[in-house]
Amino acid sequence: MYVAARGGEEAIQRSEALYHALKGPITPQLIQGIMESLPYLVDRVMGEASLYAPELAALAIAQSGGDLYEAVLLLRAYRSTQPRLGYAHPLTTERLFTVRRISASFKDIPGGQILGPSLDYSHRILNLNLLGDQQPAVSEEAPLPERPASPHYPLVADWQRQQGMLAPTPTHEASAPQDIPDVTRDNVLFPAPRAHRLQALARADTGGVLALGYASMRGYGLIHPTVNELRLAYAEVRMTHPLTGEDFSVGRVRVSQAEVVSNGGQHAPLLTLGYAATLGWNEVKLIAAATLDMEMSQPNPHPAHTEEFVMYHTEAIESSGFCIHFKLPHYVTFASSLDNLRKVISTFYSADSQPATAPAPQETAP
Amino acid sequence: MTNTLLSRARVLNVLASAPADEVIVFAEELLEKLGEVRVLFNRSGLIVLSATDSAQGAQFHLGEVLVSEAHVALETGHEGYGMCLGHDLVQALALAVIDAALAAEQGAAAIAAFAQLQQAAQLAADERLLRQVEATRVEIETF
Repeated sequence: MYVAARGGEEAIQRSEALYHALKGPITPQLIQGIMESLPYLVDRVMGEASLYAPELAALAIAQSGGDLYEAVLLLRAYRSTQPRLGYAHPLTTERLFTVRRISASFKDIPGGQILGPSLDYSHRILNLNLLGDQQPAVSEEAPLPERPASPHYPLVADWQRQQGMLAPTPTHEASAPQDIPDVTRDNVLFPAPRAHRLQALARADTGGVLALGYASMRGYGLIHPTVNELRLAYAEVRMTHPLTGEDFSVGRVRVSQAEVVSNGGQHAPLLTLGYAATLGWNEVKLIAAATLDMEMSQPNPHPAHTEEFVMYHTEAIESSGFCIHFKLPHYVTFASSLDNLRKVISTFYSADSQPATAPAPQETAP
Repeated sequence: MTNTLLSRARVLNVLASAPADEVIVFAEELLEKLGEVRVLFNRSGLIVLSATDSAQGAQFHLGEVLVSEAHVALETGHEGYGMCLGHDLVQALALAVIDAALAAEQGAAAIAAFAQLQQAAQLAADERLLRQVEATRVEIETF
């Protein structure tokens, strides 16, 4: 039961002022610096907020002092003030401007393995020299290849389908974008449409998805995932010019997607896929999410890997909001619980109580 | 500059991704030739971006993208439209003014030259990035 509480208005205002005073001023330079120097943090906030707006995500990070759940909440709240103007033409993987595309399952994939921007094989050593005034030595850049990479790569999965390793892609009647099920507007029922599942994973909390995905990987799950394809790319946001009817690109946004592959079981096809994608570049979230996608499709998944469990417990704003609401005044509900506890003690343990009605004391182990 | 590039959508395609301050300065110069410009709307909002899952072929919403858009009309009756990423109403308005100028066939040569310059810069940036990407191609050996 919730009850209203009031009081402490001045203390609340001073508390908020102190919060801001202890974290330093927010300046346009700070916001620009966050956007340029911390793109993966900005991407994480945009992905979980389900809103691509780098400048506002950087502002949210600055305004919240780097508390990511607060930053995501700020961006989601802003999103709710904006009208939905339309639907972009659906993305196709083959048209993404891809800068990183790797596979851990097959080394010789069509188009080759492109590491792109990555720290995968780097030494994780803090560069303490950067703490002082000493500027990092500018190393001479190695000459670049004459030939640029292709921005477009085929899907590894399509090649596997040609080899008979994967079942053909189920055929679906193409939906207009406005007819695709939408978790932000529909009631979510289980089993959920696949569109709901993938949208929920796209906007899910990175930490929550990782925790559940890691539980599967450690052995609570039914599969052993291998990354079939991991892709970082820029996607054109393509719209139709309302006056001429021609298509045009509004600009590019960063997107990432991952597939994991696992043994398909005793029957053909040999392999099955799990899939996830998100706004921004967030590899750990996608590998865990694609693993969970596959777990959720198993006939009898672990209770923590059912669709309902995963979708309900990886929603960043609902989960963090519910958690932190426990620090807000609960005096009446707590007092009520305490009253009940006192009644129980009075009934069963007071001098006036009947011994026959008291529960038998538990035996302790020797 | 070919006529194809002067297609309004292709010009918008290039200029929506061009530096906002340069687009705004260019549009302000055009305004002198266009007479009174009426703003029909100028607002920010969301565009839904959807994708197709490569495992089962399902379409789903990846998320929403913040954009700004503008729709303007000239005294001649010609209309222009602009849209750009982010919350930048002035940039969207500048794009709409340039689009309206193209519709009215005003300043087409200057617009073509400006768009060509911006496109060249974008292609050069893409090529440099893709050469940097090519340098990360890896041939993996197993033993």
